[in-house]
Amino acid sequence: MSYSNPKIPEGINVTDEHPLKDFAAMLLGIGLALAAIIFVLTLLAGYLVRYVPFSFEQQLAERFSEQLPASENSPEHQQRQEYLQKLGDKLARAQQLPEEMTITVHYLEDDTVNAFATLGGHIFIFKGLLDRMPSENALAMVMAHEIAHIKHRDPMVSLGRGLTVSLAALSLLGAGDGSLAQSLVGQISLLTTLSFSRGMEEDADQEALQTLARHYGHTHHADTLFRILQDENQSQDVPAFFSTHPLNEERIKAIQQYQSEQSPKSLETVPLPAWAKPE
Amino acid sequence: MYDLIIFLVLLTIGFTFGRIAEKRHFQSIIEREEELRDILTFSERLPPPGFSSARTELVSGNVVISIDYFKRIAAGLRGILGGRVTAYETLLERARREAILRMKEEARVFEATHIVNVKLETASITKGQHNQTGCVEVYAYGTALTPIKQEPEKS
Repeated sequence: MSYSNPKIPEGINVTDEHPLKDFAAMLLGIGLALAAIIFVLTLLAGYLVRYVPFSFEQQLAERFSEQLPASENSPEHQQRQEYLQKLGDKLARAQQLPEEMTITVHYLEDDTVNAFATLGGHIFIFKGLLDRMPSENALAMVMAHEIAHIKHRDPMVSLGRGLTVSLAALSLLGAGDGSLAQSLVGQISLLTTLSFSRGMEEDADQEALQTLARHYGHTHHADTLFRILQDENQSQDVPAFFSTHPLNEERIKAIQQYQSEQSPKSLETVPLPAWAKPE
Repeated sequence: MYDLIIFLVLLTIGFTFGRIAEKRHFQSIIEREEELRDILTFSERLPPPGFSSARTELVSGNVVISIDYFKRIAAGLRGILGGRVTAYETLLERARREAILRMKEEARVFEATHIVNVKLETASITKGQHNQTGCVEVYAYGTALTPIKQEPEKS
């Protein structure tokens, strides 16, 4: 028996394969799997969201209630807030919003020509929008549109999609770190304007038109906001939020199409309360 | 977005420096193994048969190597998919061979010709701590045998 230490060839315990090749293969595999999951979830989100009770959405929104702007106590602000809330409630009834859903309207003192809906039935109307509205009908169209988003559960779908995407990104970055869930929660923000798809916007427009027809008997002034925005677009002043919306022109056309199918008895519009008239 | 940029920068730094360090280390390991080839090492508990009287000495070699950021992420992805964690395999290979080399260098001081009963121990320095780059420690130890030069018998 002779004892020796022969030279052992290299590459038994270690592969010669370039580490980047292995890395790229893994990244590709996981990336494809995640992409497939996101794709399926995005497709299913609209169906799955029906099984998420609205009360859950409200609870979720409550957690972020400190993000809501503190309501101003000036009588003028309260008067407007009350008026908007009443109008919202009326439109919600006209839209046959399910009973468990409630809407809360917030009035924001900001010159942005904008309005948006978010989780838990919260709707935000900006002063800039209210000032530009010639009649209650025009304002009602915008509000009915936002209420329709809530009725269709669009904020929830949008949140779900956003979370899926950030989950995917984070799981790739963190590669299974425990801090994943925390980062996700940090990303939810009530005041972030959730982006709705074009289809959602079109559906909300149709629902809003039906609501208007039911409530006022006609849809006159339904296209006012879009005409205002169209004018602003031409003057190169594009409000950021509306850039994701379907083209205003197309929306006006859809409204005209709807109007042409109706034969209302009168086109009388309801004026806004005296205080809302821009000076 | 900034997170992604920071991540990519760290990944690039980790990969570049990690790769350079690994290449150099392997080169040095191969060279030094050749130099110390004459010291024979065995895991056998007893000296080879026929080994006459020798001085015995405990010799040891210890090494700690850190993984780089790239290896950490690559291993993390492997943790999802499963399979050979090649990123760690090279790390442990380096650590093991380096530890044995350091042990042999110590044995060289004693002018030993053999090391028997060689044992290796591996430990992870950063245990169970998240968000921290892991280190691996390998400790090699054994009994060095230095032959006692027999005085020529006086006649």
